[in-house]
Amino acid sequence: MDQQSVPSPQRRNFLLLMLAGVGSALGAMAAWPLLKFLSPSGSGGGSTQVKIAKEKIPLGGAYFFDYRGRPAVLLEPKPGEYVALTAVCTHLGCIVKWHKDQQKFICPCHGGQFSAEGDVLKGPPPAPLESYQVSLDGDQVVVG
Amino acid sequence: MQIVKRVIDWVDVRLGVRELVEENTTGYLVPRNVNAWYSLGTVLLTLFAIQFLTGILLLMYYIPDTEKAFTSVERIMNDVPYGWLFRYLHAIGSNMIVVALLLHMFSVLFMGSYKKPRELTWLSGFTIFNLGLVLCLTGYLLPWSQLSFWATTVATDAAGAVPVIGAKLVELLRGSPSVGAQTLGRFFALHVMALPLVLLGLIGFHLFCVRRIGISTAPFGKDARPARTGEKFEHELHPNGIPFFPNYTMEEGAIVCFFLAALVAVAFFAPQLFIPPDALVPADPYNTPEHIKPEWYFLWAYQTLKIFPSKLLGLGVQVAMMTFLALLPFIDRSEERRPAKRPLFVTCYVLGILLIIAISIWGHYS
Repeated sequence: MDQQSVPSPQRRNFLLLMLAGVGSALGAMAAWPLLKFLSPSGSGGGSTQVKIAKEKIPLGGAYFFDYRGRPAVLLEPKPGEYVALTAVCTHLGCIVKWHKDQQKFICPCHGGQFSAEGDVLKGPPPAPLESYQVSLDGDQVVVG
Repeated sequence: MQIVKRVIDWVDVRLGVRELVEENTTGYLVPRNVNAWYSLGTVLLTLFAIQFLTGILLLMYYIPDTEKAFTSVERIMNDVPYGWLFRYLHAIGSNMIVVALLLHMFSVLFMGSYKKPRELTWLSGFTIFNLGLVLCLTGYLLPWSQLSFWATTVATDAAGAVPVIGAKLVELLRGSPSVGAQTLGRFFALHVMALPLVLLGLIGFHLFCVRRIGISTAPFGKDARPARTGEKFEHELHPNGIPFFPNYTMEEGAIVCFFLAALVAVAFFAPQLFIPPDALVPADPYNTPEHIKPEWYFLWAYQTLKIFPSKLLGLGVQVAMMTFLALLPFIDRSEERRPAKRPLFVTCYVLGILLIIAISIWGHYS
């Protein structure tokens, strides 16, 4: 076909379309490594199973530790009985505090209260604290 | 598309952007005999942008601590997805920048574009060149490898040749008597914050000079013009020139793509060119590796220090040479820009480049 027979605006639109296509392809090629580079690896980088020596957990008290990259807490409400919960408040993500004398968690940010089992007692938290599976391995408590 | 047009209309009513864009693209005419060498400024802008971007990405995982720096770089290379790519682009990109800076400087020298009224453009460009080298030097230490540790030790030690204050100067550079945690701290601060800020300001000033004065005509063919010597400011217009956009931008785009292709090719197929074996061993302050050598662009300086009987003399020669280059537009005040009509300059130019290359090769094999 004679080049002159193609109207100029049509050629311009075609070239723009091609340029946009190539640009998008190159952009995607650059964006993929960037996205992967910025994405956190795994589930926060923490181990899926954590072992804690029994002696670290005070009777009636709490032991805070890192579980799958997030703060968690281990309680021993009665001798030999262990409860593992997330320490992240379900309201706005603050870390709850264990009040031994009242045997409950109180969130320092907005006053949300949770029982030793993680149930909501009072305040704005919309859901209970997530609990984790606990088992015993000799002198150690295994969470997860 | 209608919404895009309406947004542009809205901004245009307030800021007159259409006129601004037109003035700087299709309405901005550059000399008809402009050549590929003129694209090196855009190449450098692109490469600096890549350095900024990859540098920010590396900062997310790099830890500036002597105990953790090497491990954090190892993690970037081996564990972080595509971390190796961004690090290679950053490390190889810095070498590419030095190449482009040298080519840019040599082409400006050859075409006599540093002459009046472009003295400030040259001075700011020359400062950018030196700042680029300092950025390379400060970044070199950050991986805290044997290579980076000892190369920095040798480089900072050279300042000791300065009479009277030499020892104090070395200590000031290092933050301690020998390269250590303090050195890493100050090199890190300089590399990621202080120097990039200065560089941005200088690049802005350099571009302002280029745009304000106008692009110089290449001193070849019938369009060649002598340097202007008038006492009144005058923007160099090119009424018969070609539009900056799209005509010249397309040519520049091709050269930029060529450099990017070279950068990616080295990053994928020959990264070991810039990551020698000593860069893979963590720094050991009690064990100097044999035949430690600086990067290729510092080899001439390294060898010059060794040639002369005293370090002070070697350092003096380097300082004299760099000062001469910086002040060249004030020394060479002739109007003539055509290389064929400047035989003395061209002879010195060619011999100077050959001498630097020869000394660098000597330094590499010495």
